[in-house]
Amino acid sequence: MSKRLFRAANYPLFCGLSDRDLCPKARYRCMRNSLLIVMLAITLIPLAITSGLNFIQYQQLLRDDSQANARWNAESARATITAYLEKLEAAITVVIDTHSFEDLSDNKRLEHIFRQLKKEHQGLVDLSVVGPDGIQSAYVGPYSLAGKDYSDSLWFHKALARRMYVSEVFTGFRNVPHFVVAASKKDPYSEQYWVLRASIDTETLDRFLALADTEALEDIFLLSDSGILQSGSRYHGGALKNFQLARKPKQNDILIFEEVIGDSNFYRAVSRIPNTPWLLVLDQQGAEARKIWRIFKERLLLTLIICFLASGGVVIWLSRFLAGRFREADETRDAILSETEHSNKLASIGRLAAGVAHEINNPLAIIGEKAGLMQDLVGLDQDFRHRDKFLDQLVSLQNAVVRARTITHRLLGFARRMETSLTLVQLNEIIQEVLSFLEKDAVYRNIHIFLQLQADLPVIRADHGQLQQVFLNVINNAIDAIRSDGEIHITSRRENQKTVMVAISDTGPGIAPEILKNIFEPFFTTKGNEEKKGTGLGLSITYGLVQKMGGRIEVSSEVGGGTTFIITFPVYHEGSEGEINGRA
Amino acid sequence: MAAHRIMIVDDELDFGTTLAERLELRGFAAKAVGGAEEAMAALAADWRPDVVLLDLMMPGVDGLATLDLIKQRDPGIQVIILTGHGSTESGIIGMQRGLFDYLMKPVDIGELVARINEAGDR
Repeated sequence: MSKRLFRAANYPLFCGLSDRDLCPKARYRCMRNSLLIVMLAITLIPLAITSGLNFIQYQQLLRDDSQANARWNAESARATITAYLEKLEAAITVVIDTHSFEDLSDNKRLEHIFRQLKKEHQGLVDLSVVGPDGIQSAYVGPYSLAGKDYSDSLWFHKALARRMYVSEVFTGFRNVPHFVVAASKKDPYSEQYWVLRASIDTETLDRFLALADTEALEDIFLLSDSGILQSGSRYHGGALKNFQLARKPKQNDILIFEEVIGDSNFYRAVSRIPNTPWLLVLDQQGAEARKIWRIFKERLLLTLIICFLASGGVVIWLSRFLAGRFREADETRDAILSETEHSNKLASIGRLAAGVAHEINNPLAIIGEKAGLMQDLVGLDQDFRHRDKFLDQLVSLQNAVVRARTITHRLLGFARRMETSLTLVQLNEIIQEVLSFLEKDAVYRNIHIFLQLQADLPVIRADHGQLQQVFLNVINNAIDAIRSDGEIHITSRRENQKTVMVAISDTGPGIAPEILKNIFEPFFTTKGNEEKKGTGLGLSITYGLVQKMGGRIEVSSEVGGGTTFIITFPVYHEGSEGEINGRA
Repeated sequence: MAAHRIMIVDDELDFGTTLAERLELRGFAAKAVGGAEEAMAALAADWRPDVVLLDLMMPGVDGLATLDLIKQRDPGIQVIILTGHGSTESGIIGMQRGLFDYLMKPVDIGELVARINEAGDR
């Protein structure tokens, strides 16, 4: 897995991660930054893509909606105006069909009809009858237009040409913008056409168009084909102003297209009003100008900011945490590797040292014995000329042998300490074994050993040989401390559910506090004790061995009151530890 | 009390003979042999020692096997291991097989004599 990781580390993003030349701090910083970038990319890119898609999708949806609204509003406005005109045209048709020119040229009669029509048709300003010569023969309305000559008016000729005609807006004699709905009829006697005309002011159109107004509506107005406003416009002025459309519909379809003015865009719906010269123009707000779009954008932005901040925070924390864990794991691995390497080195040195020590002990013994024999012989020969000098030399030689022996014994002790084989052992048995080894010495020195060993002492998991060395050393120390004539008390018992302990007390001279506090220190020695025989195990080694086996060693002493070593080991519980007999 | 008879079994004959000479100077009757076979031959020839000083690492029959042979022939003979290749474990094994004591080479002659006397008096 680590190989795969380091292969990935060759990518530029991970530059320096596998670079062993970089200092560890820089490598872990690089790892942290790489993790940060990767995780930010993993979390934020999909978020950004989703948000972008949402943005586009919703924008398109709103645009479609705005266009549909524009179409619907335009259709609605067109239907309103068409219905009004059709109703008016129908009424005029009825009037002209049921009356003759003479009937309607009677002002009283025309006034009566006008009043009836005005009740049903709002915006109707006046009603008049125009004879075939273009002279207005009867008029009912607010203006003084009786007798006016319309023979030169476009609307009059168009009305004559058609059965029914709706005019463009114009000012006429009254000088007020209005349009006319005129119907023509052939007089059966004169065979000439006359006209019944109704005038409607443009404010009526404005009122109908205002009905279509909504919040999203920018503008709505009527326009003639020639580009003259037929009603008031919010942005382009009042009736009769000029305004040119970019595109016009050919038939009765509604044409919708997008217009951009300055920073804002809107949808323009244009449709023809049937049987009129008018185009209905409706400007609907663009999607981007709508309130709902603004709210959507604000919420999307807020959501994005919250997600970015939350993801960023989590990712920063996580990358730091992971890089930290990697670092800890690496440091632990390095420490274990280093320790293993050190242990292997020590074990190799130990084996070598043991071999050398064994081989040296034999020739050393020969030297010792030869020197000893010479000492014996020279000592016996009282007449030997250089007797004293020879004896001095031989004592030095023996001392050198003792020094060398101390060194080889230490080396052997060191080697023995290296090998560890953990088995289940009974402390009482170990104590008995060690005592069988030491009791001769104790008896020789008149030291009595008293045992108080708990019979059902639980087993512990430890190295048999090392445990022997521990007790051998501590008991040896006790014997050495007493020198001769004294007592050693060895007690073993279960301390609690978890531990067993062995206490070894002697009646020796005790240890001074200043020595006691250093007693487990490596290389600490009491060289004044010339009687002390090296077993190769100092108390520091004993301390190390006990600790290595999971135990604890404590000492208490009083000058003149003896010394007590208390050694504690954890009780072995089945399943509580790894395999037995594993090499440590 | 008659001086104890000591047999030194060691493949390093130079060591064995020198030690034997030193022990003789201290009143013991001592004999050095080079291995288990010579030791058993001496026993067969009715040279019965009180104490045997036995090396541990010897070519052919090693010290612990020699100890067994001696104990089988005469359990009354006391055996002290005197070796340069010692270990706590082999010492304890020897003790369990009837060994009297276990000493590491090079040994102080005073201590050795004390142990020999102790063993011989048993």
